[in-house]
Formats: sequence, C-alpha cells, structure tokens
Amino acid sequence: MKKQLLLLALGIVLVLSSEAQAAMRVDIYGPGQNIVNLALAAPIRGPQAEATSMGAALQKIVQQNLSFLPFMRLTDPKAVLGGVVLQGYEPPTLDFKRFQLAGSDIVVTTYWPEGDSGTRPVQIRAFETNTGGRLFGKEYPRVTSKDLPEVADRFCADLLEALTGDGSFFRSTLAFVKKAGKMSANVWLVKPTGRDLRQITNMPGESMSPAWSPDGRFVVFSHIDKQSHALGVWDRASGKVQRIRFPGNVVIGPAFTPDNKVAVALSNGKYPVIFLLNHVFQKERILEGGNSINVSPTFDKTGTKMAFTSSRMGGPQIFLKDLSSGTVTRVSKNGTYNTEANLSPDGTLVVYSRMTEYGHRIFVQDMMTGMERQITFGPGSDEQPSFCADSYFIAFASTRGGHGIYLTTRHGGDAKQVPTGGAAYFPRWGMPGGAKK
Amino acid sequence: MKRYALILALVMALAAGFGCAKKTTSEPGYDDGMTPEMRAAIEQITDARVYFAFDKFDIKPEYKDMLKTKADLMKKFSSIRVRIEGNCDERGTQEYNLALGERRARASYEYLVTLGVNPSQLEMISYGKENPAVQGSGEAAWSKNRRDDFRVIAH
Repeated sequence: MKKQLLLLALGIVLVLSSEAQAAMRVDIYGPGQNIVNLALAAPIRGPQAEATSMGAALQKIVQQNLSFLPFMRLTDPKAVLGGVVLQGYEPPTLDFKRFQLAGSDIVVTTYWPEGDSGTRPVQIRAFETNTGGRLFGKEYPRVTSKDLPEVADRFCADLLEALTGDGSFFRSTLAFVKKAGKMSANVWLVKPTGRDLRQITNMPGESMSPAWSPDGRFVVFSHIDKQSHALGVWDRASGKVQRIRFPGNVVIGPAFTPDNKVAVALSNGKYPVIFLLNHVFQKERILEGGNSINVSPTFDKTGTKMAFTSSRMGGPQIFLKDLSSGTVTRVSKNGTYNTEANLSPDGTLVVYSRMTEYGHRIFVQDMMTGMERQITFGPGSDEQPSFCADSYFIAFASTRGGHGIYLTTRHGGDAKQVPTGGAAYFPRWGMPGGAKK
Repeated sequence: MKRYALILALVMALAAGFGCAKKTTSEPGYDDGMTPEMRAAIEQITDARVYFAFDKFDIKPEYKDMLKTKADLMKKFSSIRVRIEGNCDERGTQEYNLALGERRARASYEYLVTLGVNPSQLEMISYGKENPAVQGSGEAAWSKNRRDDFRVIAH
C-alpha cells in the first residue's frame, strides 16, 4: 500500500512550466558528447538547515547513481563560493550565481519540509543555473529510509529524461548469469547501479542467455543439464520457473520480440535455425534457417529488424534481416569471428563481439553509415554486449579483473563495473516496471 | 503400528522398483552383472574421443577407424545406448559454441548411423565450452577440449 502511494505520488509533478520543459537538452547520442556539470545543493529542512539524516543518505545514493553517467561531472561542493547549504530550495531565495561561478550547468535542490527522520515527504528540483529555469520538480511523500534507493532511482531517471529524453537507465534491471562452478550457473537480477541483487532461479545445470520480456514479466533463458537443453521461463508474477523441452538437441540464445513472443535457435534437421514461438512457447514459424548455423537473434523495438549470428559464409558473422521484406544483409565485414550481436532498440546500431588475437573485443556498427567502431579494448576478453532501452548504455561481460559485468556507452569510454558478488555473464537489460513511455 | 507397516511396505516397493530398473550406470566397482565382453565394449566406446579443428565439425580421417570400432560394438551389443556430447574450446563465444558443439555431436552421430548403428541407440547433446576436459589456455588444452565424448547411458 505504502509502495503504491509512493508510486502514485511519483506521478505528481509539482509545477512544471512549459518553458522549463523546453530548457536544457543534452545530446548524448551525437559524436560530440556534451559534458554536463551538475551541483547537488545540500539537502535542507529549512533555510540553511541541513538535513543530515535521510537527507544525507539520499544525497549519497544520488551521487553514486550519477557517477554512472559518463557525460555528467559533479561539482565539488568546495568549489561553490558560499557553500552548498542554501537559504532556499527554489527562486527567488535560491542563489544561482554561486553555482554559475563554480561552472555548474545544473543545480539540484532537495527540501525536506517536515524534517528528514521517520516517514517524511521530500521535494527534489533541478534548475538550469544560467536561466533559472526549472527542469523538473517532484514531491515524494511518505519516504522512509527503506525507500531512499527507490526515490534516488526515480529522481535520477527523471533527471536523465529531462536532460536526454530517456531515463531508461535508472528504470532498468539487468538479468544476468552467475556461475557457481562447472556446469552450474543460475539467473540473477541487479540494478545497473549494483543495487537489489537477487537470485531468481535455483536449478542444477547451466543457465545461459537470459532475456527480459518487453512487459517485464518474464525472463527466458537457455538451460542445459547433463541430458538436455531446454527453454527456462521465469515468471515474475509467480516467481516460478518452467523448463520447456523441444524436439531436437539445442535451445540457444532466446530473445523476446517487441510483441512479447520468443525467438530462439532450435534444432531443425542438421543445423539450428531461429524459430519464433507463440505466446505459450510453442513453435510458430521459422525466422531464419538454412544450411549453416543461425543463432542469437535480437530485435529492434519495432520488431521489423533482426540481427543474428550465422556461419553461412564460413566463420561466424553478424547479419541483419528485414523481417518485412525478408532481405538479409551482412553487418560485420572485418575479422573472421564476429558473434553475439545486439541490435539497439532504435535500430540504428549493432553491437557485437569480435575475436582478436588478444581476446574478444566489442564493436559498434552504425547501420546508417556502415561505420564500425571498437568500443572496448580489454584487458581480458569482452563479450556479450547488450543495449539498454535508451540505445545509449551498453552492458557487457569481461574477464578483466575476474569475470564481471561492466557498463559503457555506444561511444565507448571508461567501463564501470556493476557489483554482482561473483563471476557474472550475459547481462541483458529489462524494465520490470514496464517502460515509462 | 499401522504407520510402521505402511513405511515398511513403501520401502519394499521402492526396493522392488530398483530391482527392476534398467542398468544405467557403469561406475567403477559397481556390480552390474555385465559380461567381461560387454564391459570391454563399453570401455572401448567411451574411452576414445573424436577431436576437431578450431571452428570445424568435420570428422578427420584418423578418427574414422575408431568410429567404425564403436559402430561394430554398438551393433553387436544392441542394448547399449550412447550419448554423444559435443564440446568446444574456450575461445569461441558461448551461444555460437553451443551450436558448434551440436554440429560436432551430429557429425559423429551421422557417421555411426551411416555405419549401421540404430539411431535409437544414440542421443546427442552440446555442452559448448561449458564442460572442458582440460583446464587452461593454449593450443595444448584447446585441442583436447574440441571433442566428442561418448557416454554409455544404458546397456
């Protein structure tokens, strides 16, 4: 009930003027990525009265969250003349000048009108320092210390959406596989920020290739025990796992289409082919087959494009199929071993891993220009790339510093590790709460 | 008293069930009532592996005699059922390797069937790179991991 109230309240926008909505926009998708300087004003309970209990804790989580955004630089509070403990949380008592002088583009204020211990409301606002325009403002009522991570995620998603048009990163949960030993791996979930780590399957054998349904209800995966392959299906509603067998020997790399159907490579004669399953996980039709290995389908958000791996030209390469026309085009043109394609939800990019003499590396190809770009450089082996719903963030598995999951972006740059508490593979993005848009 | 009788009956029923079960194990020291000839056949079927080149699934000529021996033994002992397990080295990626492992298992399967083995005596699985025979990196380890294992699952 409390959670429902909180969620309801998240929908309450304090006052969001149309002029503010048209304010600052950060181009994170273009080649010249902007850097945004953001200052976090100290959380306050009243004029110059710092909120040191839940206020300080929330601030810390927000800082940790924002450190995952490579285009955001947090202003050092010491660089703000007069300090960050403010007289007011909004104009006219909010002094923008000190933040302008510190080089901040945005200032975020946090106001706890009834104090910050127990169960209290909190108001968070973000302003552009140059114009004083409000990017957004929200009240989160009845917040307890337990709710702080969720409030921080909601705020950061809203901030990201206000700046870039898409807040999916902070609304996402990664499904991944954690290995316990030889032929022993189960499916886990974690927020990209490393919070809410939990195991969702507990089956003997090896689980692989988890994939979220677009509505966030199911996670499907390949499951291999000593005797057989099967499609594993975890239902978030019941918490139960089904193991579905198919005729033949393989069940490889399932993925959901945008209309909540599963595509998966299954045996069909001599070679595995990519089948589309219906809503009750029965074979519906072949999406791609032939006298070669065809595996690892992945779709854009319209469901009209499918990237996959095929050995039709000898070694494994990445191909793209237009499901409307049936036309198949080769995507990867360099290297002899390209696999694990993942199509960006907006359909403009394909990310994949390539075997090099130093291990696997991740490459992104722009489908408009055909330009390919290497975005990871090891050390170790970088594999299993996966696009976030925003088509910007990419999660991948790497052996650098042990087997772990890392985050980067479509532009590459420093990779940040997602804490998973053990050897982790196959990160796949999903939104258990459903997409906001 | 009635409860003890029920438990006793259950235990006896279970014991009887095990007595009738088809033998599906060949663990060392297990007195499975096999003839020495069959035991030797099972050893010959399971001990010899087929190895492959990187990203390949064609049977090399040097393994054809060995597969013929397996085929002859399986035809002689038609109660023997074998699971062919296709495996890969650590270099490839997991999903593609699952498909490649299946192709390797299928290559041996098809060769054995061509030699007259009843398909009902065979089953296949791919473990991709998840079940290496040898740990470590380098061609010495990789070449031992790109393989088909032959496991007797019933006799």
